[in-house]
Amino acid sequence: MKLKHSLFTRRQFLNGLLGGWLGALLASFLYPVIKFVFPPTREPDQVILPFADFRDMEPNSVKTFLWGTKPGILKKKDDGSYLAFVGVCTHLDCNVSYLADQRKFFCACHDGWYDENGRNIGGPPPKPLRRLVLSIEGEDLIIKREGGERVED
Amino acid sequence: MKNILQSIYFYLDTRFKLSDLIQFAKKKKVPEHKHSFWYYFGGICLFLFILQVLTGILLLLYYTPSVDSAHESIQFIMSQVKFGWLMRSVHSWSANILIAAIFIHMFSSFFLKAYRSPRELTWITGFFLLLIFLAFGFSGYLLPWNELSFFATRIGSDIAGTLPLIGNHIKTFILGGTDVTGATISRFFWLHIGILPLLTVMILGIHVLLVQILGMSKPIGIPENKVKEVPFFPNFILKDSLGWMLILALIGVLCVFFPWEIGQKADPFAATPIGIKPEWYFTFMFSTLKIIPAHIFSIEGEMIAIFGFMIGGLLWMLVPFLDRNAAKERRSPVFSFIGWVVLLYIVVMTAVTYLLPGL
Repeated sequence: MKLKHSLFTRRQFLNGLLGGWLGALLASFLYPVIKFVFPPTREPDQVILPFADFRDMEPNSVKTFLWGTKPGILKKKDDGSYLAFVGVCTHLDCNVSYLADQRKFFCACHDGWYDENGRNIGGPPPKPLRRLVLSIEGEDLIIKREGGERVED
Repeated sequence: MKNILQSIYFYLDTRFKLSDLIQFAKKKKVPEHKHSFWYYFGGICLFLFILQVLTGILLLLYYTPSVDSAHESIQFIMSQVKFGWLMRSVHSWSANILIAAIFIHMFSSFFLKAYRSPRELTWITGFFLLLIFLAFGFSGYLLPWNELSFFATRIGSDIAGTLPLIGNHIKTFILGGTDVTGATISRFFWLHIGILPLLTVMILGIHVLLVQILGMSKPIGIPENKVKEVPFFPNFILKDSLGWMLILALIGVLCVFFPWEIGQKADPFAATPIGIKPEWYFTFMFSTLKIIPAHIFSIEGEMIAIFGFMIGGLLWMLVPFLDRNAAKERRSPVFSFIGWVVLLYIVVMTAVTYLLPGL
């Protein structure tokens, strides 16, 4: 069957083909470039520390460790068990400190407060401090992301 | 919508004189004859240079020029950064293909006598571009700080050091000290991403501008009125871009199947690995230095070879003024013969490096 009228001319068809091909080509170039420009996350899957460094901590005290490029905080509770946090305020990325006498975490940037378990109790922080999963295997203290979650890809 | 576009165009046109440029592009023609094929290599060089600039800028996001982290940052790019392996492999592969394309472009222009009047300056700027890109290769080779590039740089700078009187000063200037150290990385990095790109943009600008002003050279012996011409836009540019796409596809295949290696991190106190040699485009000079007798008429052989290359290079640059026949549109078989000898020498000496490594 021959159509009486065509919606487009041969020239338009060819131009569309060329333009579409160029567009696809450009997209295939831009995709790797965009992926490349965003750096891969440096957050570790886990951190292994010698338990000996932390065994003699006083109750109600904290020690810091390196969680990738961020500070990690290990806290010994009164009952002798441990908690691990990412020591970064959930408000705007400042590092928090532990005030042992008040049993609170404090962020100096915008006066943010967390209780001794890392729950946000005052000031602007919208979320509790990020908890990390702790386990002790032999002489090693193994600290992992909670539930294997990834904060960013 | 159309009116807005038109008024934007009108605004820019009255300021940048766009319509003159468009008129020029419309009128631009490229001669077509049995040697037209070689015209494409200039465009390929330009395309590969642009590719180098783009991938180079991207690599700058992660590369750090220091002894402690240069090699590590390349490892990070190759193994951690998404498509990092691709960007670096494209940069390395297309750098090598670019050097090859420059040589093809240069020899084809030489044999077609495209250097003859009035295009002497096109040839000379092209010669400077060759030197610049060899320097690009030499400086870029060291940046990953692996053992091959480390020792290649030691050898290369030591050759400069053997020159009488100024040799040691040149070597110290190149290396930023008496040895290849962290200072050398800083210096090569400075050269590779600062000075050389700046020089390239200026000289390449003149080179390309000259080609636009003077038009493409036609081979000697084709009568002026008998040359067929095709419009630059769209006929020639479409074929040009077809060539670019083919080169790009080739680079893509090479990068996927042969990603550029990282090598062992350089250790300044380790023994030089066996089979050390410079990048392939320097090997013809490297082999000459190996083959030449230690003394010729009580002059150091190495010195003679180095001076030979320097004088040879100078004469090569001045060919447009030496070839009096071509300047008068007459055939100049002597220069074609010289060209073949030079080409044969480069090919044979390069092959010798790889086929007779024990030499």
